[in-house]
Amino acid sequence: MSERVWSWPLAIYLFLGGLGAGMTIVATIADVCFGQGELFALAPLVAACCLALGAACLLFELGVTLAFWRVFTWHGAVLNFGAYSLGILIALDAVYFSFFTGWFPWCASAEGRMVVAALSLVAAVCVIVYTGVELSSMRGRSFWNTPALPILFTVSGLLTGVAADSLLAGAWPYAGLAEAVESVQLALSYVGILLALLTLLSVVAYVLMMKTSSDAFAQKSATRWISGSFAVPFWLVQVVIGLAVPIALYAFGGPVPVLFANCCVLAGGMCLRALFVFSNDRRMLPGEEDYYEMLATGDEPFMKTNWT
Amino acid sequence: MTRYAMVMDTRRCVGCDSCTVACMVHNELPLGIIFNPVITDGPKGVYPHVHMVHIPLLCMHCEETPCVHACPTGASQQDDDGIVWVEAAKCMGCGACVEACPYNARHKDRKSGVVLKCDFCKDRVRGGGNPHCVDTCHQRARIFGDLDDSTSEVFKIVNGMRTERLYEDLGTEPQVYYVIGLGGQEA
Repeated sequence: MSERVWSWPLAIYLFLGGLGAGMTIVATIADVCFGQGELFALAPLVAACCLALGAACLLFELGVTLAFWRVFTWHGAVLNFGAYSLGILIALDAVYFSFFTGWFPWCASAEGRMVVAALSLVAAVCVIVYTGVELSSMRGRSFWNTPALPILFTVSGLLTGVAADSLLAGAWPYAGLAEAVESVQLALSYVGILLALLTLLSVVAYVLMMKTSSDAFAQKSATRWISGSFAVPFWLVQVVIGLAVPIALYAFGGPVPVLFANCCVLAGGMCLRALFVFSNDRRMLPGEEDYYEMLATGDEPFMKTNWT
Repeated sequence: MTRYAMVMDTRRCVGCDSCTVACMVHNELPLGIIFNPVITDGPKGVYPHVHMVHIPLLCMHCEETPCVHACPTGASQQDDDGIVWVEAAKCMGCGACVEACPYNARHKDRKSGVVLKCDFCKDRVRGGGNPHCVDTCHQRARIFGDLDDSTSEVFKIVNGMRTERLYEDLGTEPQVYYVIGLGGQEA
């Protein structure tokens, strides 16, 4: 009875949304600011696939799956903003990728590519920020309802984007020098170290902020993260494997350590989203928890028995 | 202008759950969904100084509705008289309103997939009647009426007695008021 309607599909969506947007941001900045777009030619396509897969995961959360289109018939809610941004970003990513294929008449237009890259960048920023805003707008969920959450999700999304772009750097349809790929991967490693440190700082500060909050339910969630049932995924997967190990491996350098670091970052990013989605503790009145615990469960077959 | 509100006189509520059952029966709620639970705080203290209070809950029909703002399809609506309700035909069951509601007043029906909630029995109310939970309450612990009508009982209680609202700090401006009194004593 104490409702939990958002679960794993949303966690996967939040991860893939942040990942796809992060990948697009890194790839478009590399193209627009540094002229290195070809190195990340595959990134917009993979980002579009991640975003589409994330959106598909959301369908599993819907009670009336085939009514998903209704989200595009309304405006004003954070979810509407996210749905529009997501749809636009998927389309822009697909168009942006097409510039690198050489299959279409517009592929030679450098100006056109820059325009699409800039638009993709704007849409990606909207998506990466919105995922955190969506959760932080829930007033009754003490652990989510803080403006720090969008910042944390944005930094973490950028980190996963850097990791994924590092994995995809130099992949088809890029046909340039291998040295350029190594060079850009090294640069991404430095960016990765910076973002991992920022994420580490943000997540630890967030949990401590919740632990010292005046709200008992925020404290309860934070305690679960620090020393309760979420302690192992938080400390081991999120902090050590997802952040500390990648920082060390990025600093160590080399193709294999960087490859491992990128995979660890992606695992940590997924873990962070899952931990947040399952920390939706609602404020409870005295006696409310007891009430819901007392309710009988599993009586449905008995109640529906036709005794005549 | 009409502004419907409800007063819960916790000094009178005996926790019999009649309102809960009346609501479930009249609204034909699916098994497991309860619009208006009655929770119990206590007993607290040491004999003979003990007290216990029953707190009837339901949708607070807030002025500042986090659920309506969170709804991405316009299915969650608030009418001019303050009643918050869900238009099932527009609901896609995303659950955003369920997560947004601080009062656990919204429930996703696993069978139909849409979100269900208390609508103050709006068809009865607009026809001049009371919600089923109010009519059923033999202790008159639930009082319903128009807060903008200075002759109504809810107006007199809200403006004449000390009442409290749940989670006022969240800024939702709930329209369910609680008359608080310990151990059945008059406030």
